[in-house]
Amino acid sequence: MDFEYLKNKRLLIVDDEQALLDMVVSILKEEGFKDIVTAKTVKEALALADSFQPELAILDVMLPDGNGFSLMEQLKNKGEYPILILTARGEDEDKFKGFGLGADDYIVKPFLPKELIFRIMAILRRSYKGENPLIKLQNCEIDFDRAEVIKNGEHIPLTAKEYDILTVLYRNAGRIVTIDSLCEAAWGDNPFGYENSLMAHIRRIREKIELNPSRPVSLVTVKGLGYKLIIGRK
Amino acid sequence: MRSVPKLIRRYIGILMLSCVLLVILNIILLAVFVANQTPNASPWKTAEEVAKTLKLADNGEYELPDSIALELKNSNVWAIYIDNGTKQVIWKTDNLPKTIPILYTLSDIASLTRGYIEGYPTFTGEAENGLVVLGYPKDSFWKHMWPSWDYYFIANLPKTVLTVFVINAALIFIIYMAANSKLIRSIRPIVNGIQSLPTGEPVYVKEKGLLSELAMNINKTSEILQSQKDQLRRKETARANWIAGVSHDIRTPLSMVMGYAGQLKDDPHITQDARQKAKVIVKQSERIKNLINDLNLASKLEYNMQPINSKRENLIAIVRQVVVDFINMDIDNTHPIEWETDESLTVYPVNVDKTLIKRAVSNLIQNCINHNEQGCKIYVSVAVDNGKCTVTVADDGTGVTDEQIEKLNNAPHYMFCDENTTEQRHGLGLLIVKQIAAVHGGTTVIEHSPYGGFSVKLTLPCCE
Repeated sequence: MDFEYLKNKRLLIVDDEQALLDMVVSILKEEGFKDIVTAKTVKEALALADSFQPELAILDVMLPDGNGFSLMEQLKNKGEYPILILTARGEDEDKFKGFGLGADDYIVKPFLPKELIFRIMAILRRSYKGENPLIKLQNCEIDFDRAEVIKNGEHIPLTAKEYDILTVLYRNAGRIVTIDSLCEAAWGDNPFGYENSLMAHIRRIREKIELNPSRPVSLVTVKGLGYKLIIGRK
Repeated sequence: MRSVPKLIRRYIGILMLSCVLLVILNIILLAVFVANQTPNASPWKTAEEVAKTLKLADNGEYELPDSIALELKNSNVWAIYIDNGTKQVIWKTDNLPKTIPILYTLSDIASLTRGYIEGYPTFTGEAENGLVVLGYPKDSFWKHMWPSWDYYFIANLPKTVLTVFVINAALIFIIYMAANSKLIRSIRPIVNGIQSLPTGEPVYVKEKGLLSELAMNINKTSEILQSQKDQLRRKETARANWIAGVSHDIRTPLSMVMGYAGQLKDDPHITQDARQKAKVIVKQSERIKNLINDLNLASKLEYNMQPINSKRENLIAIVRQVVVDFINMDIDNTHPIEWETDESLTVYPVNVDKTLIKRAVSNLIQNCINHNEQGCKIYVSVAVDNGKCTVTVADDGTGVTDEQIEKLNNAPHYMFCDENTTEQRHGLGLLIVKQIAAVHGGTTVIEHSPYGGFSVKLTLPCCE
């Protein structure tokens, strides 16, 4: 996959426990991230936010001199970059609060390295997709900036709904996205009963991105459950 | 308070019934008494009879038949016969007292007809040419000297009696109601107090009046209930908080165990053997993680500390999302999941807490994975029948014995078992599924899977 450029992003990790910081850094370094700084307090984090200009922040909620939620608000005021909450507080209210304040994702400890990496990559892909305008599929390329598909040198425009659906599929590339999540992405909060419309849209997307829409290789159906976008070329 | 008016109605009914019965009883007693008096009330008849049977004999003397004469003698009754013309006694019985006159004026006749001669109650019978007078022993009869009544008094008697009766009844009713309403006024707060006791709210009844002692006891009971409730609540909160605290504190160290083991299991620089060991650490850490999550939720659900945010949700979407999350996570494809739901069933609204239902379904799938480490196929379906929808999670793995199924369905969980038990019945995963089903008014049934393994059916009531 063409995501190597995302691993050059500057990451700021804030947690009061040194051992946990060491471990997260080790996981990220192993994955290929190079530019990582850590802070153990709100004060340090705010200072680093100015000097280091992070492009993604990973915050713990409970810090010795404040809490992660208020730190998140202060960081949001300083710059536009995604924030991931990484905490031992697994209550639903905490999650809702985190998302309500604008967190991009919320991971409850303990977590597996794989999970952390996947979530970080998903956030980065979503936040910095503009820098990698062309997504390569088996038989075409998608240009999300211009909302078009380039197949055999031909530029085919995507409709708004097709664009929304493809965005969600791309964000979860390689994973199944349920019919319901796709409907929600395209039709909003009350996605009941749009399944047939979704099927129609999927068919049209396939006509644009597949060589043979009745035998799809990039946008595959998982029967009864949803769809999966396979990116990259074999 | 519904019972009090009912009680009053019943008592008034009983009171009225007793009044009517009392009157009827009195009438019957009077009738019996009067009937017993009737034989004594016959002296007028006896006098008539004497008058009729008194005949002038051949010897010019008047004579009574022997039987009647004997009867009079036995009853100690004397008789005289007064001639119409001369007003003189022309016949008398032998037992006539000396003091009885033998000549009578008209006024004497009138007086003896109404009353007495010399204290002897007298009764008259009309004979052919005169008047027969019977004299009964003194004090044997009481005679009414002025036997006349106002005409309207007698004519209106039934009406008068009825009126008096009604007035009496009304008076009794008023007295009863007055006494009762006072009692009710003092009972009402007591009844209200007793009725609010089971609601669990604090109760206070004013301690005054007739029933102040009762009021005091109700207040005391309420206080005891409140303090017991508080204590129980505090204990439960402390227990749930303790579990929440411990599970929180375990999370950070466990993160490090999982994190490093996770790195080691994919580390190409160490031996295959060491990687295998790291893999086991990861797997076991995940079990601890699930256990912590389950322990926390189970204790919160048990002590009603888990807020339930029920909303109208599409059950199919919820289950589908859980299944997809598992498929996306199962990279080695050791536990493939088959979606067995009817394709036409794409939307089914239920009123549920989405997070909890997701949790229940993931626990069921996780359960299949935990008990079949070598891998198994998992079958998930949602079906609707008779206004109920059933989520079934089944596998073709090792399964369990009939006995275990019986235990899983019916035995209480060790976490909430109040007797000492050394026997570990089952993990928290299924307990949580049962608790979640219960808070949604649903049920869980554990059985053998048609695919050869284990199966759990989670049934939820449908949305109106």
